[in-house]
Amino acid sequence: MDKRIKEMLAGYVDGELSEDERMAFELELQRDHELRSELEEFKRLKEVTGMMHYADLPDEVWESYWQSLYRKTERGIGWILLSVGAIFLLCFGLWQALTQFYLDPDVSLFVKMGVSAAGAGLIVLLVSLIRERLFAYHRDRYKEVKK
Amino acid sequence: MTNETSFTGMEMDMDRALVMQIKAGNKKALGQLVERHKKQAFQIALGLVGNKDDAYDISQEAFLRVYRSAKTFDEKQPFLPWFYTIIANLCRSALRRRTTSKKRNVNVDDVSYMLVSDDDPEGALIKRETIARLRQGLRELPFADREIISLQHFREMSYDEIAALLGIPRGTVMSRLYYARKKLAAIMLEKEGQ
Repeated sequence: MDKRIKEMLAGYVDGELSEDERMAFELELQRDHELRSELEEFKRLKEVTGMMHYADLPDEVWESYWQSLYRKTERGIGWILLSVGAIFLLCFGLWQALTQFYLDPDVSLFVKMGVSAAGAGLIVLLVSLIRERLFAYHRDRYKEVKK
Repeated sequence: MTNETSFTGMEMDMDRALVMQIKAGNKKALGQLVERHKKQAFQIALGLVGNKDDAYDISQEAFLRVYRSAKTFDEKQPFLPWFYTIIANLCRSALRRRTTSKKRNVNVDDVSYMLVSDDDPEGALIKRETIARLRQGLRELPFADREIISLQHFREMSYDEIAALLGIPRGTVMSRLYYARKKLAAIMLEKEGQ
């Protein structure tokens, strides 16, 4: 079966052929047994898919769709500003810590190690907590439904 | 993206005008665009990723991308193919993430994937089995095949509309549909024998 006939088979099932194409295809159909069996196969498939339709979401989800999206557009700007501010503050804090604390010979090494360990622990806990909250948020099926 | 109306010139002009307003910073225009296309965006994503929650998130992210990338939109081009590309790319990324987290297959029992219009109680059992095979078949199809089947069978778009949406010739739509259907029928036949 040539490529053109194969293409026409799809179009025939979907009623997408022109009158001339349809007549040419039906002529070929009378001659070709394999083509007839493929046509039946496609018709069965079309029948099965015709029984199905996409699921819809509850009305309350659609009603809050725009509000939810609007909040996200605001959050985007908020996150950018927060991130820029946090980066500036972090750089300043690190510089201050280096010059005022870590490079100060009067501060004991044990204190420096203790502060470093506590700081590192706090960061690990914070990252873990944020990750857990984000994980839970993304899997909450009803997050858009008002309680 | 409504297959009945959105490919008409007036509808396309309306979408273009809204994107141009979004470009100028008008959030109300984004709201209007969302109202026009939210359900279709969700359904297209649902057909490609097969999961309601993911499809909802993807549809919202797609609108956010439109909002953030409106400046890159070429006003001479139609909106829908651009928007569809955004959705399809987000779906591809979501499926890649699912693959890397070894969760490629959607839970077979997840009835939220698609619903059946079951008006024939006598044939209900046979229908359920056939539909289960169809669901499995769709999940196993490569992305491009699932895409073309989803648009033609479940969105009921014409070949011209699909060609315009995907930016491919009409003949390619027919050809892709032929091979996608052959693969789907073969997978379903295989499942029937198991």
